[in-house]
Amino acid sequence: MTTLTSDNAHNPVADGEKVLGPNDNAYQDPTHRAPLVVGKHNFTTITETVTDLNLRKTPRAWYIAFAISNCLLLMFLYCIYELITKGVGVWGNNNPVAWGFPIVNFVFWVGIGHAGTLISAILFLFRQNWRTSINRFAEAMTIFAVCCAGAFPALHVGRPWLAYWLFPIPNQMGMWPQFRSPLLWDVFAVNTYATVSLLFWYVGMIPDLATLRDRCKNKIGQFLYGLFSLGWTGSSRHWHRYEKAYLLLAALATPLVLSVHSVVSFDFATSQLPGWHTTIFPPYFVAGAVFGGFAMVVTLAVPARQWFGLKDFITMRHLENMNKIILATGMIVSYAYITEFFTAWYSGHHFEQFVFLNRPFGPYSWAFFTMVFCNVCAPQLFWFKKCRTSIPVMMFVAMCVNVGMWFERFVIVTTSLHRDFLPSSWDMFVPTKIDIMMFIGSFGLFFTLFLLFCRFLPMVAMAEVKNVTPQAHAHHDHDEHHEGGQH
Amino acid sequence: MIDSQPQHVTGREYWRSLNELANTPEFQEKLDHEFVQYDPDQLLGMSRRRFVQLMGASMALAGVSLTGCRRYPEEKIAPFASRPDGRVPGVSERYATGMNLGGVAAGLLISQYDGRPIKVEGNPLHPMSSGASSALAQASVLELYDPERSRFAVHNGKESDWNAFINFAAKHFGDLDATQGEGFAILSEATSSKAIARLKKQLLTRFPKATWTRYEAIDRSATEKGTKLAFGQTLRPQWQLDKAQLIVSFDSDLFDEHPAHLKATRDWAAGRRTADQGKMNRVIAVESTYSAFGRAADLRKALRPSQIKQVIAGVGAKLGVTGVSVTGSLDAKLTELVNLIATEVSHAKSAVIVAGDALDATTNAICHRINAQIGAVGKGVVYTSEPLADEADSDLATLAKNMQAGKVNTLLMLGGNPVFDAPVDLNFASALGKVKTSIHLSGYRDETSVVSTWHLPKAHYLESWEDGMSWDGTVTITQPMILPLFNGKTSAQVLTLVLGGKDSDGLALTKAAAGSGDDLAWRKVLASGIVEGTALKPVSVSPASGALSVKAGQASGYEVIFTASGVYDGRFANNAWLLEAPDTLTKVTWDNPALLNVNDAEAANIKTGDFIEITLGGKRLETVAYLMPGQPAGTIALPLGYGREQCGHVGKGVGFNTYVLRSSDATSVATGATLKSLGRFYELAMTQEHHLIDAVGEWGRESRVGKKGEMGQIVREINLDEYKQNKMIVHKNEHGVALQLFEAPSDFNDPHAWGMAIDMNTCIGCNACVIACQAENNVPVVGKANVLMGREMHWLRVDTYFKGDPRTDESPDVVTQPMMCMHCENAPCEQVCPVAATVHDTEGLNTMVYNRCIGTRYCSNNCPYKVRRFNYFDYNAKSPREFDPPNWNNIPDTQPGASIDPIKQMVFNPDVTVRMRGVMEKCTYCTQRITAAKIPARNEGRTVKDGEIKTACQQACSTDAIVFGNLNDPSARVTMVHKNNRAYSVLGELNIKPRTKYLAKVRNPVTSEVTG
Repeated sequence: MTTLTSDNAHNPVADGEKVLGPNDNAYQDPTHRAPLVVGKHNFTTITETVTDLNLRKTPRAWYIAFAISNCLLLMFLYCIYELITKGVGVWGNNNPVAWGFPIVNFVFWVGIGHAGTLISAILFLFRQNWRTSINRFAEAMTIFAVCCAGAFPALHVGRPWLAYWLFPIPNQMGMWPQFRSPLLWDVFAVNTYATVSLLFWYVGMIPDLATLRDRCKNKIGQFLYGLFSLGWTGSSRHWHRYEKAYLLLAALATPLVLSVHSVVSFDFATSQLPGWHTTIFPPYFVAGAVFGGFAMVVTLAVPARQWFGLKDFITMRHLENMNKIILATGMIVSYAYITEFFTAWYSGHHFEQFVFLNRPFGPYSWAFFTMVFCNVCAPQLFWFKKCRTSIPVMMFVAMCVNVGMWFERFVIVTTSLHRDFLPSSWDMFVPTKIDIMMFIGSFGLFFTLFLLFCRFLPMVAMAEVKNVTPQAHAHHDHDEHHEGGQH
Repeated sequence: MIDSQPQHVTGREYWRSLNELANTPEFQEKLDHEFVQYDPDQLLGMSRRRFVQLMGASMALAGVSLTGCRRYPEEKIAPFASRPDGRVPGVSERYATGMNLGGVAAGLLISQYDGRPIKVEGNPLHPMSSGASSALAQASVLELYDPERSRFAVHNGKESDWNAFINFAAKHFGDLDATQGEGFAILSEATSSKAIARLKKQLLTRFPKATWTRYEAIDRSATEKGTKLAFGQTLRPQWQLDKAQLIVSFDSDLFDEHPAHLKATRDWAAGRRTADQGKMNRVIAVESTYSAFGRAADLRKALRPSQIKQVIAGVGAKLGVTGVSVTGSLDAKLTELVNLIATEVSHAKSAVIVAGDALDATTNAICHRINAQIGAVGKGVVYTSEPLADEADSDLATLAKNMQAGKVNTLLMLGGNPVFDAPVDLNFASALGKVKTSIHLSGYRDETSVVSTWHLPKAHYLESWEDGMSWDGTVTITQPMILPLFNGKTSAQVLTLVLGGKDSDGLALTKAAAGSGDDLAWRKVLASGIVEGTALKPVSVSPASGALSVKAGQASGYEVIFTASGVYDGRFANNAWLLEAPDTLTKVTWDNPALLNVNDAEAANIKTGDFIEITLGGKRLETVAYLMPGQPAGTIALPLGYGREQCGHVGKGVGFNTYVLRSSDATSVATGATLKSLGRFYELAMTQEHHLIDAVGEWGRESRVGKKGEMGQIVREINLDEYKQNKMIVHKNEHGVALQLFEAPSDFNDPHAWGMAIDMNTCIGCNACVIACQAENNVPVVGKANVLMGREMHWLRVDTYFKGDPRTDESPDVVTQPMMCMHCENAPCEQVCPVAATVHDTEGLNTMVYNRCIGTRYCSNNCPYKVRRFNYFDYNAKSPREFDPPNWNNIPDTQPGASIDPIKQMVFNPDVTVRMRGVMEKCTYCTQRITAAKIPARNEGRTVKDGEIKTACQQACSTDAIVFGNLNDPSARVTMVHKNNRAYSVLGELNIKPRTKYLAKVRNPVTSEVTG
């Protein structure tokens, strides 16, 4: 980690009484607004800390991690090879459970992809400035999660080489897609989301890419960073337009946060299968996605701030805030679970009631109770500040939520399908090796992309973080109670 | 009127209409839109940018698929230089023929396309089939195109040919003349062929010391011996179940594999269908394993075979039948049953006792004597002579003994597979080893072939000229549909060769057997498939004098019952359709587990799928257990025919060879077996789980199916008395569906409205429809590994539901419900398909567009009946014994044509697309048959008449349980059936408006008078 050279850094709590530790900003003091960046940082140190991660010699640990992710990615590609040359039968899908792991994985990954845009767009619009430290890599996580998500529905179709028929392309057959199908809405929703998220991420990165361009010493880097920084000079006009564009994109992206997972939930909600056919699904899925997405951000942020020396930027307060969101959305998800059961009972509808008895007491009860433990019980720890600010506890809860949210989709997809209307068609779903390898392999894709991102792109939005440091508001220096936000 | 004058006329103008002359704006507009749906402005108005945009997007996305350039498989076609007479390419032709099985012919009608038979149907002119056919007959076409059938003669293990055999036969049998055929024996399958009978006579005249043996593994000798005991002559009962109000069956397979099952079930159904008029026959089945008769019964009693014998004797004695007595006293339970049956029989206006072949001769005889006593002869059964019986034949045991003693030098085996299926105590394989020259004619190189000195390939019946008698004696002609694919010959041809005759195709023999001298008569025989007026004449019977006595008392040890299985006696063991057809009750495919009583098994700590060891008389069988509801305590049912070691790779080693327990003194029932668990587990591939179901699942199932004696929601059944009182009782628990928010876009009734009805009251779950559908619609076989994963492809399945606790209820009720696509008007599958690959046509067919389907499987998820089937692999190109196909490193779409054996491809129905992997498929209501009927109807300017279209399942059904037709036609049968009070929609409350309706099952329990 770069040594801090500047003593201009202003730490408003350096002399405060309620200091929990030298670098702790997770205190609650109504008289103080906690700083968003700790440590003695000035603009130079921020730039150096962040760009050094990209410009220094590649550490051995990165190579090791990259090799492991690549192995997983290769496994993923091998599974795709098997899939395409043999057929979707290499998975465990069968007649009642026509959607198995691929769709579970798809919904899981799309859900993870929610936190990024939520942090960048909604929190931006709500002026939650603490987002600046984590938004860049949360957005990256979003994009990579959507990549993983996109792979599954495209490959899960029986004839993947014809998956492009899902797009409304004029063609010699004179055929349009069937617009009443929620799967088609899904195609539009996910594509829109992926496009806007990518744009948002890229636009937000332009000033930082320019910084890298300026500091990069090798030719290829200079060329590529230069190319992608689109001639950024940092002039006021650039800044003005940049901020307008960013605001507009944030406004565009905000409804998408809600729409994508709502539309994904329509895949289930508009069907007539008991256990899927539920009006509560859109909000329930969105809450679940935010819940799962934030858990994944925490899962990635905790090691990243450790390994990349970003503890000053991704502070305990950031983590705590995310944990609060996890708690809140976890409660919404728990409420949705309860509502589903209540509705089943209240409907007096036999098939509906059966599904909701079959979940806890049927052959997949282990999956159901895994889900309940991970999604309902585990986040309750976050009622306690000690837990919210404890790295081991939050890692435990975040991992629980990651697992639990995967199981939630598994429970929804599998338990509803495996015993539907006619008892004669009831059957069990058992995943094959390829199913499991492909799920693990998708993490290979995710981490490969993520490691490339960590190595070559600015992990923290330098320009924005600088904006929330006290130095950006030097005229407020006399004021102890200054706000760390932009004006 | 001409409103205005043409303008800008320069010189002479010709006009085509007054409107053009007038040149009105309307006309101008019309001129612009000369080609409907083609708007030149649209193209012209497209900017260069827009054009490039669209092209770019199309190319990019087509490129994504990697198959922008699609290469279609290469095909070679060889057109006729001149068209043969009477052949219209692509139009199928139908020929009548017959299939001989166990010495009895079934009348069939074969659809033939361009010279290849592709579909078997029942011959409507045949008195025993009336258009229906069995699952075995349906599946026989797959065997014809089995590339693993024997292709050449084998001599001492080396490939040989027919010429070599002909030369050998001339010398060998010429030499036999010297000894008058001393040491020459013939072992033949049962045959009623007159051609063979004539050759047999010639043979035995030339070789007077030769012996002839008839052997069939599925033993029907009990009836032959029983009638002899009962009436003093060997007779064949001809059941006439339509004439009886009360039908009592004792351990009979009359509704299963019995040669007369098509007529018997049809007659029974005739007496069930009258339920709507308030009368219906009553069936009591007393049996030792669940049979189709038991499924059809109003009262079923599950008893050990030894108990059944006592009951029969008890009933006989009770009814005062001459010479029938029970030694000792029956226990209370049996006495109660005896009283019940005797009372029922004596109260019924007409009753008949159906005697099973699993009974011994004495009890079988008692049944026949009861029939004579109660006046059933002529009113439920008539007796005719038994054409198979020949007093001069020697039996298999004697033959085997002679072989062991070295007295047989030459053994000619015409069909059959005695090494596999002969009683184990005869030790046939070792006996055969002592025979110097053994000649075996068979379709496959089987267990017997490999230990014989000569193996000769037998022609399939679809390649042969043959004749045979059906159960009623009607001579049925088998005419070849195709030249022998693999150079096979029939038994008659081989006998001709043995007799030194010329190698002929057998036509002359068959023609002579048909007895039709002149050409016109012969043509008539060929056209109808039968020789009119050859049915056997009833003979009058009178009880013989012998006493028939049965000892009361309990048999010790387990009683083992040997039954025919889905592959009959094992001869169809290489037929994947039959192997994969789920057993109606167990739903097991690709296996023949031993059926155990639930309590017996649980006491021995045995679960379904456990390996068990059964020992019987020092012989040992390792097999797998299946806990069968309704299997009587103290019995084990063992289906025969599995566990083949020498057949094609499809059937090799499938299941367990149960013949190893069967000895010549107990071919149907054996006593004194022991049972123990081996503590290992085996995976049984079942298509419907009855077992391993938890409490929640039980609850869910029971609330839908209903408890025993209750109506149920998805399967509805009622008692005849209740039905008479309340005609609408079937609908008593229905809730009306609220009207839809939006009007349905169409009634789907232009000009026809296709619909179907299935009568659960006459369905016995015989599986004929399942195989018929498979054959008609090119439904692939997936193999055991894929059935285990729940990927069976049958478009039509038979759902079986038990009602009653298998532990406390000795005989739970069974309901069978054929289930296939309902063609819902408000189809849930259609709404969710993102590429519009499943859409409705104007006549109500929910059509599946295979080449549009990309396989999202969403439709299957949204189908409440789960009748949609997905091609997870390219099942046609894959061996059924493998889980998955090899990797296909080629252009994906080219897979099907390139990797299916060309012989196997011949079985495909050319009217139905062969689906590739990755697409969804399902029942189409046989859309190809609908179209075939619609085209001529349209040419004649009319709609299709009722009865012109029969779906494949409907055609195969012997009980007419399936009706298809046009709901627009008020007089169509399907319309009538839809209006029946018993008609209901399964899951109709989902407002999906299924086009298939079910008729509730009606039971006629023994609580009221028989009202036949």
